[in-house]
Amino acid sequence: MSSPSIDESNAPAQSSAFPRKSGAWHGALAGLIPLILLIVIIIVVFILTAVARQLVAASGFFAQQQAALMVLITGLVLAVGVYIVALVFTFRRVAAWKQGGAVVQVRAALWALGVTALLVVLPVLLGIVLPQQPAP
Amino acid sequence: MSSGRSPSGTSTIEAVAVTTTEGHRVRRVIVTLLTISAILTFAYSALSIYIATQLVYAPQKPIYATPASLGLIFRYVTFPSREDHLQLRGWFIPGVLSSGRLTSQRTIIMVHGVRTNRADKGAGLLKLSVELARHGFAVLAFDMRGSGESQPAPLSLGYFEQRDVLGAVDFLRSGRLPFPELGRPRVITGWGVSLGAATMLLAAAQEPAIRAIVSDSAFTDIIPILEREVPKGSHLPQLFTPGALFAARVIYGVDFYAVRPVDVVASIAPRPIFFIQGTRDAFIPPSNMGDLATAARAAPNANVQTWLVPGATHAQSFNTAGKEYVDRVVAFYTATPGQDSSGT
Repeated sequence: MSSPSIDESNAPAQSSAFPRKSGAWHGALAGLIPLILLIVIIIVVFILTAVARQLVAASGFFAQQQAALMVLITGLVLAVGVYIVALVFTFRRVAAWKQGGAVVQVRAALWALGVTALLVVLPVLLGIVLPQQPAP
Repeated sequence: MSSGRSPSGTSTIEAVAVTTTEGHRVRRVIVTLLTISAILTFAYSALSIYIATQLVYAPQKPIYATPASLGLIFRYVTFPSREDHLQLRGWFIPGVLSSGRLTSQRTIIMVHGVRTNRADKGAGLLKLSVELARHGFAVLAFDMRGSGESQPAPLSLGYFEQRDVLGAVDFLRSGRLPFPELGRPRVITGWGVSLGAATMLLAAAQEPAIRAIVSDSAFTDIIPILEREVPKGSHLPQLFTPGALFAARVIYGVDFYAVRPVDVVASIAPRPIFFIQGTRDAFIPPSNMGDLATAARAAPNANVQTWLVPGATHAQSFNTAGKEYVDRVVAFYTATPGQDSSGT
């Protein structure tokens, strides 16, 4: 009789702290995947834009502009597409965790997604808050 | 009873109960936040890219007249810019000495302003070129990249254009000159108006062969001007300016934040600089000249002159002051070491 009570009071107390922590990390990482994908794709797109600009430099300004814009716009559209798909997958995973009662993962993932929303809108926020001193 | 229950199990059951009621609301809030942030940023990026494409493109204006229409001999020249080798078109006008002989010993590189060309009617560039040539100074006036008859290129407001001025120096020092019988210039000087002046300062800071500079209506830093002009031109709020400047960097490689003549002007010393600006310049406020002169004087051996032209608006000092402008500029260039030895 006493051994089960020890099992219930001591063993879970030790084992729950660790899964809670790792569950939070797991959830946060899952929630950050869309943002990570978005950032990686955008960096790659910027690099490819610069490469495209250099590759067609000899063909003149208009060809250069066209190539750079094509790469940039295609890349940004692709980035948005991948971001949306990644968000859908993340929300499905969150729903599955919720069904399984993995509250720590759910909370961490939702927090990460909230942070993602803030970081995604950061360029606009920076545009608003960056100090500008227009010439008179 | 409670001691017999697993702590983790209790919190899980409670939390699940909470999440079933509040979870949907939290999830909806996050989905809304994610949607709004994505739409805002996508729209911001798209508009920034559009503004950037508008900012760096200027239709090339045709040349309306030549020095021949004002009675001077000239020849067309084509030379490459330094580093990126864009083909630049211009003309070379030999100086006319009082004896009537032609000379190229003291040559002035003349650089026009934004969205115009080497004959710039508005600033009287062709007239001034001819006046200087009649005072014995040869003139190399050319169209910067993306202007006049030169190769199309993004308008970078000095960032890339300084290579054009450096290309002009290379051309005078080692290119195939149109009047080989006159020999190579012994003294190369520079004159620029507005963007041309700022570009000349940026180029002269790197090229000691430019022995004296007349800077008419230069800006200290392009960013405050863009922060004023971009919202005006795009009819969009100021918050798009940083995005547009960043987009210009990504698409065209133009770093407008690096276009700051005020940072390099001191390195031109001991070569003389003559700053000119109109008192009624509303485009580039006259305080720019004061700031540039102060920065230039920071060098221990600085040689700086300034002239605020009463009543002159932007890039109109020559048109406003006329003969006085020519006299002052000629006096400044004449004082530059290196006399013309081809005989008067």
